[in-house]
Amino acid sequence: MSSLLSLPRELTVYTVGELHGRCLEALSAWSAPPEDALEVDAAEVEEVDAAGLQWLLSLSYGAAGEGREFALAEPSTALRRACEALGMNDWLRACAVDPSPGGRGSMSASFGGMA
Amino acid sequence: MSTEDPDAGFIAAALPAFVSEAQEQVEALEQLLLQLEDRPDDRELLDALFRCAHTIKGSGGVFGLDRLVGFTHHVETLLDQLREGQVRLSPALSTLLLQCNDQISALLAVAATPDADDIEAAARREALVTQLRTVCDTGAGSAGSAPPQKCAPAGGTLRHWRLSVRFGHDTFRHGMDPLAILDYLRRLGSVSELACDLAAVPALDQIDPESCYLGFAFDLASEASRAQIDGAFDFVRDDCVLQMTEIEKSSAPREAFGRTSADEPTAPTPGVGASTESAPAPAAVTARAGTALEDTRYIRVQADRLDAVINMLGELVTASAGASLLARQTRQGSLIEANLQIASLVEEIRNGTLQLRMVPIGETFARFRRVVRDIASELDKDVTLEIVGGDTELDKSVVERIADPLMHLVRNSLDHGLETAAQRVAGGKPAQGRLTLAAWHESGSILIRISDDGRGIDRDKVLQRAWARGLVEPGVVPADADILKLIFEPGFSTAEKVTSLSGRGVGMDVVRSNIEALRGTVALSSEPGRGSHVEIRLPLTLAIIDGFLVSVGSSKFIFPLDSVVEVIERRTPVTALDAQGRCIVELRGRPLPVLDLRGLYALDTSAPDRSSVVVIRCGPSSFGVMVDQLLGQHQTVIKPLSRMFRSLRGMSGSSILGNGEVALIFDVHTLNQLAVEPPASSRLTPRQLNHTGASATIYSQGQ
Repeated sequence: MSSLLSLPRELTVYTVGELHGRCLEALSAWSAPPEDALEVDAAEVEEVDAAGLQWLLSLSYGAAGEGREFALAEPSTALRRACEALGMNDWLRACAVDPSPGGRGSMSASFGGMA
Repeated sequence: MSTEDPDAGFIAAALPAFVSEAQEQVEALEQLLLQLEDRPDDRELLDALFRCAHTIKGSGGVFGLDRLVGFTHHVETLLDQLREGQVRLSPALSTLLLQCNDQISALLAVAATPDADDIEAAARREALVTQLRTVCDTGAGSAGSAPPQKCAPAGGTLRHWRLSVRFGHDTFRHGMDPLAILDYLRRLGSVSELACDLAAVPALDQIDPESCYLGFAFDLASEASRAQIDGAFDFVRDDCVLQMTEIEKSSAPREAFGRTSADEPTAPTPGVGASTESAPAPAAVTARAGTALEDTRYIRVQADRLDAVINMLGELVTASAGASLLARQTRQGSLIEANLQIASLVEEIRNGTLQLRMVPIGETFARFRRVVRDIASELDKDVTLEIVGGDTELDKSVVERIADPLMHLVRNSLDHGLETAAQRVAGGKPAQGRLTLAAWHESGSILIRISDDGRGIDRDKVLQRAWARGLVEPGVVPADADILKLIFEPGFSTAEKVTSLSGRGVGMDVVRSNIEALRGTVALSSEPGRGSHVEIRLPLTLAIIDGFLVSVGSSKFIFPLDSVVEVIERRTPVTALDAQGRCIVELRGRPLPVLDLRGLYALDTSAPDRSSVVVIRCGPSSFGVMVDQLLGQHQTVIKPLSRMFRSLRGMSGSSILGNGEVALIFDVHTLNQLAVEPPASSRLTPRQLNHTGASATIYSQGQ
């Protein structure tokens, strides 16, 4: 399984608008079979605020709306902390995917490259 | 360049704005304190008071005004205890707080000069702080004895709060992060039962990623006061609906810092959004958010920029009138039409722009609450101030310049007019005196009336004084109305003992000249034993009016359009013209005094065969003015009359017409006096009594 996108280092209100636009583009170009989970790579996230979390949540809702699973691959410590602080632990538990050896890397299309 | 320089520059540039905003907070504080005297338990007032002090302290800190911050901190502490119910408001405490407020105001006044602190002021501040501390200490000590709320423990005990907050869409855009607020609250105490309401977050295709859709509900166990917790939301106040209730919780908080809701169900609590609407508690909070929203609808504009716009507008009005005139001369229909359209747009802009300067007079009136309170207690009198028509609007520059004369008149009423409670009861009046400030619009002017139900003015005393001062020949008794006018003469004072408040004899003539400088008039009436009224009539604006242009011979005159009732054809007068060019004509069976401008101003032209009479209303009476030609409506930019023409009675200003000619603007009020004053005797009254347009209202008309 490959991640649709990697989340940037800064997932805040300052980056979320741009990220949103790119994500919509990526999704429209994405033609995975419906049983595939929508996965995002969250290992890089170092800085996150409520706007960033809210956007992630919205992304997961969007996936659920299409009947897909949503997977948050290797959520970073910063992201885990923020989820906890905002009372989103259950949501995080439901969609976090533990790191698996070789699970990510060259396959994941980096978002920065697409823009 | 060192890093401090730009900071210093920024602070110097922003300081005036801070001072003016903080002064507004000080004024608000004063009003709130005075209102609090009537409703000592009003939670909203208490909250607002605290917030004002908090704001002053907070922004003062940004500017490094240590004295201000230090002093305001003590005031804030006391206000916090007040709203926590630990201290009860007493008249003495109210006075103390008002004095503290004055002190804050004084500190603000010297904010720009950090070194200007004299020993005396510092000592006064120290004394106030000592008093504040004493009150605070006793308050904290006696907290248990009279708790108005179900639970009012002294600071230091753990209290439990249940908070629910729903953030507005713009929260992120305003740079606020709910996460940071939660973090801040975690520093105040321990957060538990945290539930984030995620239900409102839309799916990806509908979300605006920069809008906030979040809400939270959580419990907070903290030793902090309600104010401190509430303060966490200060920066999102306008953007959120906050509900905060204190809850009973006997057990110790279950969760320690850092381990918040791992075991709690984080399913969206359906109640978060709904409860804020249905619960009774947040009414105050939402109401406050409402007023805050209203505040943001204002833009601060520098007054001189506005003045510059209005000056330009005056030029525009004149230029547009000139263009219209030229267009008419060309007799080209389309050009005339285009000019008419421009003229109507200019008129709309004019009205809109002048509206910008209009402010309600209520703010000025409200300042007198404090004056009345302080002076009445100083004089040991019981006086209530009633304000009527506070929402009446008039030009800001007029409002500013009328405040001083009003102050003097109010002080006069308190000092001389109103009696002590004992005297009032002896005179068969209610013990509490009544002072009324009223304002209303009347035909293009604003009327302000200061009335009291005191002892009234003793005409004999006035006359005695006037004789003694040589204002009137000894033994001569002028008409009743004229006697009262003597009070406005320079150097007149009836007070038997000169007090610190009034009666220095520098007052009433200054009041009159201030009002005249605004093109206004002042009139006084009094009924012995029943009270007195002072009525001030002011023009709505000092800049531009709608005028009605007429001509007599080659001279052009302008009436304020508001005062023109009708125009009739000239008819045969019932009486012959007298020496001042006046006659009476019959209008619908009633006599109408008519002025002939040729006679009045000795215009050296012959009358045409046909002429008209413009009927002018002035208060309850009307009069006519004979004119040769009616030239129609005219947007009139008022220019002051030069000194040379000041002695001309009946004129209030001049205006430049589109073709460069000068027209004189009538002062309807004095013109009316000219029309109705008795023909011969009036010439015998001292000339200065009636000079240029002021103070000479005849009372039966003024009422």
